[in-house]
Amino acid sequence: MNVPARLRDLRWAGVQLSGVATVAMLVVAVAVNTALQPNFWGGYALTSNFATFVPLVAIAIGQTVVVLSGGLDLSLGAQVTLASVVAVQVVDGRLDRLPLAAAAALGVGMACGALNGLVVALLRLQPIVATFATSFVFSGLALVVLPTPGGSVPIEVTTAYRDSVLGVPVALLAIVGLALLWRVLRGHRVLRHVYAVGGDAEAAYASLVPVTRTRVWAYVLGGLFAALSALAVLANTGSGDPFVGNELTLASVAAVVLGGTALAGGRGGAGGSILGAMVLALVTNIVFFADVPTTYRQLVNGAVIILALALAGIPALQKRRPAA
Amino acid sequence: MSTALLEMTGVRKRYGGVQALDGASLTAVRGEVHALLGPNGSGKSTLDKTLAGTVVPDSGEIRIDGAVARIGGPRDAHALGVAAVYQQLSIVGDLTVTQNVVLGLEPARRWGFLDHRAARDRAGAALERFAAAFSGRLPLDRPAGSLGPGELQIVEVAKALARGPRILVLDEATASLHKEQVEVLFEVVGELRAAGVLVLFTSHRLDEVFALCDRATVLRNGRTAGTVELADTDEAELVGLMVGDVPHRAPRRAPATTGAPAPTEAFVGAGPEARPGAEAEAEAVPGAEARAGAEARPGAEAVPGARLEVRGLTTERLRDVGFTARAGEVLGLGGLQGQGQSELLLALFGAARVSAGEALLDGRPLPLTSPVRAARAGVALVPGDRGRQGMFATRPIQENLSLASMRRRARAGLALGAAAERSAARSMVERLRIKLGSLADPVSTLSGGNQQKVVIGKWLLDRPRVVLLDDPTKGVDVAAKEEIYAIVRGLADDGAVVILNSSDNRELAELSDRVLVLFEGAVVEELSGAAITEGRLVAGALRLAPGESL
Amino acid sequence: MSAPTVEAPRRVLAWRPGPVALAGAIAVALVIAGELLSPGFAGYGQLVNLMRVAAFLGVIAIGQTIVIIAGGGGVDLSVGKVATFAAIIGSRVMAGDDAGIVPAVALALLVSAGIGLVNGLCVTLLRIPPFVMTLGMIGVVQGLILAYTGGQASGRAAPALTSLVNGRVVGDLPGLLFLWLLLGLLAVWLLRRTTFGWNLFAVGANRTAAELTGVRVNRTLIVAYVLSATFAGLGGILLLGYTESVFLDLADQYMLPSVAAVVIGGTLLAGGIGGYAGTAVGAIVLTVLQGLLTTLDIGGAGRTVVNGIVLLVLLSLYGRQRRLRS
Repeated sequence: MNVPARLRDLRWAGVQLSGVATVAMLVVAVAVNTALQPNFWGGYALTSNFATFVPLVAIAIGQTVVVLSGGLDLSLGAQVTLASVVAVQVVDGRLDRLPLAAAAALGVGMACGALNGLVVALLRLQPIVATFATSFVFSGLALVVLPTPGGSVPIEVTTAYRDSVLGVPVALLAIVGLALLWRVLRGHRVLRHVYAVGGDAEAAYASLVPVTRTRVWAYVLGGLFAALSALAVLANTGSGDPFVGNELTLASVAAVVLGGTALAGGRGGAGGSILGAMVLALVTNIVFFADVPTTYRQLVNGAVIILALALAGIPALQKRRPAA
Repeated sequence: MSTALLEMTGVRKRYGGVQALDGASLTAVRGEVHALLGPNGSGKSTLDKTLAGTVVPDSGEIRIDGAVARIGGPRDAHALGVAAVYQQLSIVGDLTVTQNVVLGLEPARRWGFLDHRAARDRAGAALERFAAAFSGRLPLDRPAGSLGPGELQIVEVAKALARGPRILVLDEATASLHKEQVEVLFEVVGELRAAGVLVLFTSHRLDEVFALCDRATVLRNGRTAGTVELADTDEAELVGLMVGDVPHRAPRRAPATTGAPAPTEAFVGAGPEARPGAEAEAEAVPGAEARAGAEARPGAEAVPGARLEVRGLTTERLRDVGFTARAGEVLGLGGLQGQGQSELLLALFGAARVSAGEALLDGRPLPLTSPVRAARAGVALVPGDRGRQGMFATRPIQENLSLASMRRRARAGLALGAAAERSAARSMVERLRIKLGSLADPVSTLSGGNQQKVVIGKWLLDRPRVVLLDDPTKGVDVAAKEEIYAIVRGLADDGAVVILNSSDNRELAELSDRVLVLFEGAVVEELSGAAITEGRLVAGALRLAPGESL
Repeated sequence: MSAPTVEAPRRVLAWRPGPVALAGAIAVALVIAGELLSPGFAGYGQLVNLMRVAAFLGVIAIGQTIVIIAGGGGVDLSVGKVATFAAIIGSRVMAGDDAGIVPAVALALLVSAGIGLVNGLCVTLLRIPPFVMTLGMIGVVQGLILAYTGGQASGRAAPALTSLVNGRVVGDLPGLLFLWLLLGLLAVWLLRRTTFGWNLFAVGANRTAAELTGVRVNRTLIVAYVLSATFAGLGGILLLGYTESVFLDLADQYMLPSVAAVVIGGTLLAGGIGGYAGTAVGAIVLTVLQGLLTTLDIGGAGRTVVNGIVLLVLLSLYGRQRRLRS
């Protein structure tokens, strides 16, 4: 038998199960939220909820691409910070400079991603420590660009962001847009190669996939989504903050795992991560509205997230066959 | 045979301490099916990989169509018209079959966006030639990871063909195929030959080589031992080239394998590398008889004095396996490989999920639930895959040897004495004659045979009562093989029950007092004493013998 | 296309004698650079101070080393939070009173060990990837901190603890350094001279083989996480002695530097190879680097950038992964 064990061990049912688990978690979260939060489905609550989701959703998609390629990007939060402060400095409260600012943010994100990609794929450094190191570079640069919170986003942007079109919140449209962008990318050769490299880099290499280039691309795409996340952050908060992305990095990893994407790479997708990001956000919401005493909120929040992470990992339990 | 399409000369490659290729050469022409033969570790796969670009040789020259080819990676090989079917398949299990077939060369529309229909058409066309090898419809949209080993192998071949090669490397491409699939593959290879493609065919099944190939190049220890026209060659000559000067064993031809209708099947049972003929038969039988004289032959179940008694053992891959074994007995496991032999050993070591059955060791129940408990009860396992299951390649020889028994020597079960550990390891190094530089060296610096001795040795510091050996001489050189045989006999003489699975029937015949032949997870035949001959083993493996079950 | 198993280890081997010496050389080079750029940097008092700062990272990284050696993607991201929590518990229980030291330290370490136990159980029994599990644990411990403190840290280090950590004990050296030395020796002994240590390396080098050699793999892993959290807690207590009072994110920032120190010290993130001596030197390198950047007058932002770049350079001297082509 020369069929590699990794091929035999695959459990396709497992993948589906984890997709089901993510959806189930979201359903439960929404149901509980509906019960607890007055007017959860009301226009205002809906709009403001989605408005806070978008940054995490965007960065989670970026993390998904990197994780699918077999990597990990601990600098995504710092990239969000850097891209957002650059954009806010460029736009400087003027609506006419908005396109320029958006372009600058995207450029910054992709440049950061390219640096990560080079470091990980060409220098072959371990992603965990390498992107940890680059996160210093990015957050340091962010402090250079904007030493203290400030700068302003045109009021039209923040207003539009919290508006709704035909009853559909703009922020929800933004999430749909991000999902569509993911769909488009999935139809591209680069994403196919990302899956192949993450699934089995050696097989991909032998199959003429440009492994190094693909890995670089994964980080560049991660940076692109980090930049989109930065734009959402600006639209949501209205001003720049040189520490804004700190919390997002680890949350993005959690969202990816909740979405059923394997940290080992090659399996999963951004659809799950989007749902995972929403679950994360809703859990915070639930804890807030569940009358949990303030000092216990974070504890409950953390415990629920661990529980969710454990549930997302249940498929892995199915193949508990040692040695054989 | 005008000008050569492919000329490889003086190819060398070293992996760490192992010289995989040591000046190998090969010349082949268009429209030829050229066999690449040699025993385990002779460098066949490495030579294939240097051609395919996944291994860059340390030195040597490759010429294609007379021009020096610089192959720095698979893409270079592809540009030169080389496609390869790897022994370790280059299939990504998470992608679909279609995605795998076109992987790396995906048809795309503008700006790199994938053309799914074209991809499906291309994959469909590639697999269509092999349609007969698939049960049911072509699994174009199924995840590759969900296919069986044979179908997966066919996908790998179709993928290589879809690249339109001038030179196609087939490395053990038939090993996991069943008969019909092999026929389909041979048909396609015939078409390729007619179309002028050079096919490099590596296989351990000599009958396939004779049926399919025009010429054969034989490798031995990383060097080319010779190239022969297969039409003018017989198996004995090939085996002679492969084995070189092995003392006292003149290879004989297949007729000795009584009961087997044709050499075809005989070699199927002969293990991962061709060991044709029944040359060891004559030596094996007296040996077995001598041992049989020393101990009473065990008869039916539940013999008083049985050291190990197994009843109704059933797992995912085993069906109702039962036997008894006496102290000092070597019990062989025969049959085609993959019929549950490894699973039986793992189950006895508590490393497979046992759904029914029990085992008694010296009359007391042997826990089959965890390796820890099995080890504490005096069971030792030398697993089949040394690298993945047996040794800690990066750790020192010292730790590899100490690990299984150190708890007993440690103070309070925790603190280890450096001197005590060293002397324990030294005693084992001397006893097993392990050749090493320093105990502090990683075990990966040793040769295969010495690595295996370390894996065996870790158990011997504890005088195990049952020793489970899973193909212990695989990839081990001849001299080390004999030493391992001596160790096995020594263990039995010390009163241990030795259960030996081997892909080498000669080895089984030489060492075993009794052999259980397994087929699809069940014991179908038991041979003992003079009845253990290679012929009977092969026949039993193929279920040709009269008694199909006991 | 996988190469024979002997190949990767050989490559690793070639590094093996290197990392600790190399890291040491870098530390010395940084000190010399500091002295050149800012005379007085390599002064005795300054160096002692740097070592003292390094000690906290060094102690916290003991556990990180253990968990990383255990392999299988093993890493403990919760060490920073656990250290913070231990310091908070310690400070509140001892409340500035020497009599409270023993119960305070005992309780803090017990809670830390409990957190490690949960990490270990979830990683082994529920098979949650260590990165994810310990990441999630950060949130839980943060929650525990808020629940325990109500958002306001209280208490104070006992004078005895402070004098143990900060006081000059022998030859003008603070007690902290001796404590670090002691704990470091304990770690080295644990890894190199105990059944636990050898089992740990075996599990990290080849988990399947360890299982098939009768090693209690899960128990070894669980103990690794318990030790990791306990050493983190100990680091937090020492930090409390240094700062005397606590705040809610006291030791949080040690999370990733502890990983970096381990990697710079030559321990493989893949597991199975490494040791604590390297980690200790790695902690010194990182601290000296910080000190050097602080001394140079380039402002916080520039300092962070340079820190990241130097870290990248350091990492590229070690942690390189295997090539695909052989």
